[in-house]
Amino acid sequence: MKKVSIPNPKNNSLLAQIESLYKTFINVKDKESLEFDLSLLNWIYPLLVLPVSAYINNTHSEYKTSFSDKIKTYLETISFPEGIDSISLFQRKVQKYKTYIPISVLKKSGGAERERLEALFAEKIYEMLGSIPGAQNAVCYPIAELVTNIFEHSKKDTGFIFGQFYPNKNYLDICIVDCGRGFSGAYREEKGLKLSDSSAISEVMKGNSVKPEKERGYGIWTSKRIICDALDGGGFIMISGSAGLISENKRENLVSFPNFYWQGVIIAYRIPVPRGPVDISSFIE
Amino acid sequence: MKKSKKVSIDIANLLASIISSRDIINILEKFIKKIDAKTIDLDFTDVKFVSRSAAHALSLLKDKLRTKKDISFINTNKDVTEMLRVVAANRMVSKSQKPQFSLEKININSLLKESLT
Repeated sequence: MKKVSIPNPKNNSLLAQIESLYKTFINVKDKESLEFDLSLLNWIYPLLVLPVSAYINNTHSEYKTSFSDKIKTYLETISFPEGIDSISLFQRKVQKYKTYIPISVLKKSGGAERERLEALFAEKIYEMLGSIPGAQNAVCYPIAELVTNIFEHSKKDTGFIFGQFYPNKNYLDICIVDCGRGFSGAYREEKGLKLSDSSAISEVMKGNSVKPEKERGYGIWTSKRIICDALDGGGFIMISGSAGLISENKRENLVSFPNFYWQGVIIAYRIPVPRGPVDISSFIE
Repeated sequence: MKKSKKVSIDIANLLASIISSRDIINILEKFIKKIDAKTIDLDFTDVKFVSRSAAHALSLLKDKLRTKKDISFINTNKDVTEMLRVVAANRMVSKSQKPQFSLEKININSLLKESLT
């Protein structure tokens, strides 16, 4: 089994986390079994830990952790790597560890049970941010739209979601991952379009849905606007295949990842704690 | 189910307090089809949020069952009301302009060199 060390990010930015993610999965073959070594990490970030968790679940890979009690305890707290897929377990976990949310596994076939688990996740996130007017909409909209969009198109039964609030840094990081057919695969299979990964991301951001209804296709685009514009200072990352969109600190790039391929979609974003009321109504029209 | 003039469905209880997914509306559709009543109120008490996708699916469902059922959305909070209205308006007159998106592609290694060194 190939051993892969996850490098510690150089700083707290989403871009630094992407660098670690890229270096973790560079030159990895499709569905290759890996042994992840987490011992270099000083802290666990959603953008790093959730793709690794999803990969382990999808490929029966393994991991080893550091001797640091802090990291070990945290991984146990968040139910790494298997995650949890039941409401009762979720409630027990958040009751026990007030400021941590476990990795949640959302199963398409779970129906109303899955919907309630996702609702609990979103409500817990909102509760952590504090009761700021309008913040519930700004928190719920991206979670709801991104989860429904990527899982609906992934053609896989399972999706993963995880978040961590950093009260001292005043922001919240959320990551959503699937190991499905990716955007390029969805356009090819649904519309017969042969698009590169970067062109497929561009089509998604232009609101060109793989579905026939004209009024569909705005979920991801609007979510990014809410995160980066309505919640001033937010950051948004979306990776599919060997391409990604990185929007952070008012800078936006369409990025290619040589010798890297994520089978599915990874979305990660950072929400700064709103300083005042948030109104997203102009973004959803 | 007993035949009655009007039936109310507690959406938060049947589905969830936050309605996100388009496919969850299929559960509602199956439930409605089993009800032997022409008039159905979808009661959104305790529903805190409805996503745009779910609102769109609700709007399609209402249209689809129009000839068989008279469906109303009741007790929607301000945000849910607004979402349902925006989606309904966009179905009537869809956005003429698609979002603009045009970015040059950059290699991750160049971006990292530029930004993190």
